[in-house]
This record gives sequence, structure tokens and C-alpha cells, in this order.
Amino acid sequence: MKRSIGVVLALLLGAAVVTAVVLGNGGGGPAVVRGVIGSEKKPFFDDPRVRAAFEEHGLRVEVDTAGSRQIAAEVGLDDYAFAFPSSLPAAEKIKKDRGVSRVFSPFYSPMTVATFQPIVEVLTRAGLVRDSGRGYQVLDMAGYLELVAEGTRWDRLPGNTAYPARKRVLLTTTDVRTSNSAAMYLAMTSYVANGEDVVTTAEQVPGVAEKVAPVFLDQGYSQSSTEAPFEDYLVMGSGKTPMVVTYEAQYLSRLFSGDGSITPEMRLLYPAPTVLSKHTLVPLTEQGGEVGRLLTEDPQLRRLAAEHGFRTADPEAFADLVAERRAAVPRDLVDVVEPPVYERLEQLITAIDRLYAGGAVPQAEGGS
Amino acid sequence: MNALAPGSAPGPDRRPAGARSPRPPRRPILRPALGSALALALVLGLAACGPDDIGDHPDTLRILAGSEVKDLEPLLSRSGLKLKISYTGTLDGAEQVAGGGADGEYDAVWFSSNRYLSLIDGAPARLSTETKIMVSPVLLGLRTAKARELGWAGGKASWKQIATAAREGRFTFGMANPASSNSGFSALVGVAAALSDAGEALDAAQVSAVTPELKEFFSAQRLTAGSSGWLADAYARRGGVDGIVNYESVLLGMKDLTLVHPDDGVVTADYPLTLLASAPPEKRELYGRLTAWLRTPDTQREIMTTTHRRPVVPEVRPGPEFGSAPLLELPFPNRRAAADQLITAYLDEARVPAHALFVLDTSGSMQGERIEALREALVMLTGADRSASGTFSRFRSRETVTMIPFSDGVGASRTFTLPAGDPGPVLEEIRGYAEGLGADGGTAIYDGLRAAYAESTRADPDHYTSIVLMTDGENTDGASPEDFESLYRMLPEGRRPRTFVVLFGESDVEEMNRVAELTGGAVFDARDGSLAAAFKEIRGYQ
Repeated sequence: MKRSIGVVLALLLGAAVVTAVVLGNGGGGPAVVRGVIGSEKKPFFDDPRVRAAFEEHGLRVEVDTAGSRQIAAEVGLDDYAFAFPSSLPAAEKIKKDRGVSRVFSPFYSPMTVATFQPIVEVLTRAGLVRDSGRGYQVLDMAGYLELVAEGTRWDRLPGNTAYPARKRVLLTTTDVRTSNSAAMYLAMTSYVANGEDVVTTAEQVPGVAEKVAPVFLDQGYSQSSTEAPFEDYLVMGSGKTPMVVTYEAQYLSRLFSGDGSITPEMRLLYPAPTVLSKHTLVPLTEQGGEVGRLLTEDPQLRRLAAEHGFRTADPEAFADLVAERRAAVPRDLVDVVEPPVYERLEQLITAIDRLYAGGAVPQAEGGS
Repeated sequence: MNALAPGSAPGPDRRPAGARSPRPPRRPILRPALGSALALALVLGLAACGPDDIGDHPDTLRILAGSEVKDLEPLLSRSGLKLKISYTGTLDGAEQVAGGGADGEYDAVWFSSNRYLSLIDGAPARLSTETKIMVSPVLLGLRTAKARELGWAGGKASWKQIATAAREGRFTFGMANPASSNSGFSALVGVAAALSDAGEALDAAQVSAVTPELKEFFSAQRLTAGSSGWLADAYARRGGVDGIVNYESVLLGMKDLTLVHPDDGVVTADYPLTLLASAPPEKRELYGRLTAWLRTPDTQREIMTTTHRRPVVPEVRPGPEFGSAPLLELPFPNRRAAADQLITAYLDEARVPAHALFVLDTSGSMQGERIEALREALVMLTGADRSASGTFSRFRSRETVTMIPFSDGVGASRTFTLPAGDPGPVLEEIRGYAEGLGADGGTAIYDGLRAAYAESTRADPDHYTSIVLMTDGENTDGASPEDFESLYRMLPEGRRPRTFVVLFGESDVEEMNRVAELTGGAVFDARDGSLAAAFKEIRGYQ
């Protein structure tokens, strides 16, 4: 399932018309620094305020987007000053491959589940959702995996009149073979399936992969980019996407911006356990390192990151925004587990990929 | 641009150049089904470059598109970008992309869905960023009176209820062929998922289990089509069925229809404009600009009001015409084998079997390359084309095939009946027959056609009967067009098969258009292209 690096110029929603201005470094203008990043950070880098903040430091940051797995697995990084995947395992792989000494983790975001109030009520009755007692709601992953293993349908959940759909109770994710958010979800589910423990050995992989594969395979076709199912959630509502695995930042950036896309019925759940998507910048040049340093240390950039829904080393900016919107969001995350290391995660994904292929038969039947 | 006889426009790729329309086409463009081999390029915003210019320009985005998005041309011409759009059929296009045939030829692809495409081995690696532009679910549209009669005036019914009414013979419907049209395939997936008790994406075993119920459902299908656009036009012109399964966007544009929103789920087309991984940086930038423009609230609103498709950005809320109830989306198979098995089950078991009559010109002018092309076109339909689309378009189990050759007069017709089981031996017979076709004598087109209609009166009424007329010249012998027309009009209205005409060589375009128009068929132009491609495309209509 290897894909050539899908590096793409400014394509995300809301991105204004892109002007490919290539400035020379000698003309006194800002120095162009080009990076390859996970697509969910694209709106941040496109934000004119972010661009202005970098320009104050003499940098013009241009970014291409690619899946974190692609960034880690492909070799086409020579053209870039930095790589900025969405997960620590991918960053560590690049760090090792390229012999980089220092990486930056300027912001992070837990994996969350976006859903709707009527669904929350159904899930609460089924014992899957509980109140944390600290102002946010928790989705019990072990209970969820049991439900999936039993093949439970929405219309068979007791007392469910709010969403009596004749389809399986399944969180919508992206395609685990291409997308980081699904890989992070795999990190969560594999922890539960491995008896509440991080998958650390190759021996654990086949058994765990078999247990968690249905949460991906039974969904049927899944989309490849993280933004797509979240957008379905925002636009098409519970009919298509009753529950979707997202980065917290995707939901919160919409909420914080007050653009009206988060309607009163929408809810954010915190899976227990969850994992953190640690957006980690791997510098490949000196200027790339400067971008990492500024993202980590510059107060203005940290505040802007918070507005885009990311958690930074400055928790106050994030907390203020949460308070302002009265969002049901935890200040500190408690039930957080570590994702498996890069090689283990890759092995899990490869094992699930094999199960996808398991149902395949030669396509042409022949003529006679 | 497409001045073909009404109901007879499979697409501008096979547009008879000299054809004049007896009256203006009902729609500006009869959304066509197109063969990739002859896809016509439409150039927007590129004044200095005509449609014949097939060269590449760094400032032009080349898009391979499904015919379903053709109605966006007026909108796209205002994008401020130079676009070159070529149209192709869904499955043909998918095979072309997956096989690498689109790399370097196009920069982006735009079909109504990438779902089937992404199941083909090797296809995902050829695709880069996908950007959804609009959505439209596949629904059932019924004559308002019929919807009221069935108790569905409010637009609410489940696929299970629809299937029950179908089994009881309480209504009939038309649907595009799932092997050639995304709307047909989406409907098939939706119906199968809804009728199955599974709840998750169908696998091969579940497809087998649900096939008997599919058969009951499709017993009410009395009209098929190679494309959703032709289906809508054919229904609007002649009716003949109580409703059609089609995109919501198409159904909303039609009169006197009640849209039934199945509450057990639908499959929705999401029109992802998709960058090819092979596209160079300057094309990636154009792609970024086009998708950004298409997703601005203003453009989204215009797409919604002019094409009845739902918007995909949260800033634009769907209008009242789409109703307020959320549509349940049914899971789509994530394995090629399940998808292909579903199509195979439809063709071999579930659908009303076809009776295809081929009226074949074997006159002297066909000698040489032409008769060889005809033999090859027929042999392809016996399974020689091993691609998935070729496999789906070959003669299928339970089908009846009648060959009626003509020259000075009508030759001996021969009928082949494919069994429900292994079609191999009969396919072999048809191949032998095709390879034995010779060419000699005059061209008695209407004698041949009259023989086909006479034969059709003896056809099994439980088959879906249609006629293909293939000729390379003008009528020289036997009956006149008027003779044919009077025979045609003598047939009872419910027993008048459509004739799909293949233009070849020196066909009389106007006369052939009249045949297609009279019978509600369509014209396929193979004069500058492949006869085999035209025959393959016609299979979607049989």
C-alpha cells in the first residue's frame, strides 16, 4: 500500500487562492523555508496571522501536505527544510533515518470522537459514555470494542429510539493504511486489545491485529484524508457519520473560530484510553530548525496554535479559549497511553492491510 | 452542440457530424455515456486552443471526468482557470486510471465517486489529494400518482418496503446498469446493503445470501441504461415505467416525481475532484486553485441552486428541496471481490435477463477490414475482453442473443440461449458464428430491422428485449423506412423494443437518427472509432 508521496500544494478547505510566489533569498525579502506537513496543520500554516508572525522573523514558510506515514516511509525529503508529521512514531523514524539530533514538539492534540447529543444519550444508556466529573464526557473504549466484537447494530441497542439505524455501531475513521488519525486510533484500540498494554513485541502483533481489524474493515470503504470524514460529520450530520474519530484540534479550531459549523447538538467525547497526536517537527536544515524553535518558543505563534485548537507548552492560552466557549474540554488529560513504536505500528497496519486483501479473489473470471 | 435526435444521444464522442435535430433537444446537453477511447475534450477558458488541440499547456488543468459532471460546464467556465475536460464512462475511466493510462495524459480525475476505483489494485497509488465538491444520494423517483397509490406520497419508504412492492408487481422502475454507471452501482450497493441483515460492509458471503431478495427487487426493473443521464431522458420522453432510480440531483430536475428517501439508507455520490499523483507541481497548484474556488460559499451555493446537488462546506446549508431528515449512509464494500461479485450477481441472477437482437450488415461494402471489425466486436462480447468492464459487458448467463444478418435480403437468423449456469459452451458457439460472418451483396436495412421486430414479438416477455442495428451504408434493397415505421406502429405499445443504432462507414446519419428516435433508442457513432467500443457501450443499454 505504499503511495508515492502525495505532496500537495495548498488544497484544504478555506484555503484562499494560492499564489506560488517564489522569492529569492538575496533580495532582502524573507527567506523561503519549505516543509512537508500532515494535512491537518495546513489551515494553521495558511493563516495570514501565522504567516505574518514568521515574516517578522524573516521567514516565509511554505508547506506541502502528505500523510504522516508517507512522510516517514518515503525518501523524497531532500527538497525540504523540515518534516512535520502528526505523530511521534513517524517523527522518530525520520529522526533516526536522517540522523537528526534535535526535534521539536511544539503542540499536540488528543484523539477524540465527535458525535451528537442524541447519540451520546444512546451510548450513555448502553454504558459506553460516562461523565468524567470534571466537565467532559468519556467514551469507554473497552466497552466499545466489545460492542464491535458482538456485531451490535444501532437499532438493537436497548431503548434506542433516537437513532434506530439498521447499521453497525462503528466509529468512522479514515483508511488506516494511509492516514495518521486512523493509525492513532489503532494505537488506542491495540492498547485495549493487548490487555491494557502497549504492543511492544512482534509476537503480539498478529493476535492484536485480528482483534482490532473489524473496527476498520467492517466500516466498509473509508476515506483517505482526515479532513474528509470530519467534514461529512459537519455537513451531512448523523445520517452518514454518527461518530467520527478526529483530532481534538479539528473540532476545537471550528469551535473557537465561532464560524457556526459546530451546532448546538454536536458533542466531543474523550476516549479512555486516548493517545496524543504529538505534532513533531524534524528539522532537516538550519532554517527548518528555526521554524521548530519559533513554533515552540514564540508566544504569538503559540497563541495562534491554541486558536487552531492545538495544545501547546502554554496551557493558559488554550484554557482561556475553552473557558470563553464554555467547551466541555478537559484541561489536563488523564487516561493517555503511548502509541507503539514506529516499527510495531507499521507491523500492525501491515497485518490489517493483509486482512483487507484476505477477502480478495482474482478479479477477472475469464471468458469461457 | 449535441444536435441529435431526442433520446438518441449517447454522447458527443459519437456525434454524427452532419445530423440535424428535428427539434431542439430537451436539455442543452443529454448527459451522455461515453467510451474512453473516443472521449471528447472540452476546453474551457482557452480561447486560443480548440477542442482538437490535445497538447499540454502548463497553465491548463487536464481533467478526466465522468459524464455526470458535464452539467457543471457553464459554472466551470467562470472559474478563471483554463480547464480541459475529457469525459469517459465510470468503469472504463476507473480501469484507465488504475492501469496508469491517465498518468501524463491528465492531471486530475473527477468521477461521481472514487469508491470502486480505489478498490482496484494499484489505483490508490495513482491518486493524490481528493477534494469533495458536492454530494447527491441515489434515490427512487416515482410518478406522484403512483407514489400516492403505494402510500409513499410523503417520500418515506424503506428499501424493504420498496422491494416488497416490487415483488408484488405493484410498480416498475428504470435504473442504469451497475456495470456501466455509478448511479446504478450505488443503487445496487444500497439495495443490497439494506436488504441484507448485515449492517456492516457486505462481503462475498453476504452478497450470495442477499441475491434472492435482489432478484425480487429487480423483477420490477423494466428499463435499463448505460448512463444516468440517458435514463432520465428516456423516462421523461417515453415513460413506460413508474419511476427511476437516479441521483437526487437528476430527480429534482424532473417534473411530476415524488422522491422516495429510503429510511434504511442510501449510497451517496460525493464527486471527489482528485489530483493524480503523477501531476507536476504547476498542475498541483492549478488543482489547488480550482478546488478552493469550487468550495467557496458562493460557488457552493450556485452548484446547489443550478444543479440540485448538496453543498459540502458547513458555511452553506442545504436548501429546503433536500428535505430535513438526515440520510442514513450505507456502508460501501471495501473489497474489490465483494463489489465485483455484487455486479455479477446482478447480471447473472438478479436482473431481468436480456434478449439482445443484433441486426448486422453483411453487405458487400462490409468486405475486408469492416467485416473483420464486426467479427472482432462480437467476439469481444463472448468474453475475449478479459478486463473487468469487458467481463461485465459480455453476454451473460440467462441471456438470449439473436443474430439477424442482412444483405440483399434477410439471412438466416440464429438464436443462442445462454443457460443459468456455465455460459462457456454457448459463448463458444456465438464466437464461432461471429467468426464465420461473411460479406456480400446489397444493403436491405429495413428488411433486417423488420425481421428483428417480427422476431421480438415471439421473444419471451420475461426478458428485456432490445435491438442493435449495425450498418455501414444506405438502404439499397427491400423495405423502405416508411415500411418499417408502419410495421413498428402496428406493434402493441408495450412490445416495442428500442433500437440502438451503430453508425459505421457510410451510414445514412439522418435515417439512422430517425430509427433511434422512433424507437426510443440511441445512436452510437463508430465511424471514427472502434466498433468494439461502441458494442461494449451499447451493452449497458441492453
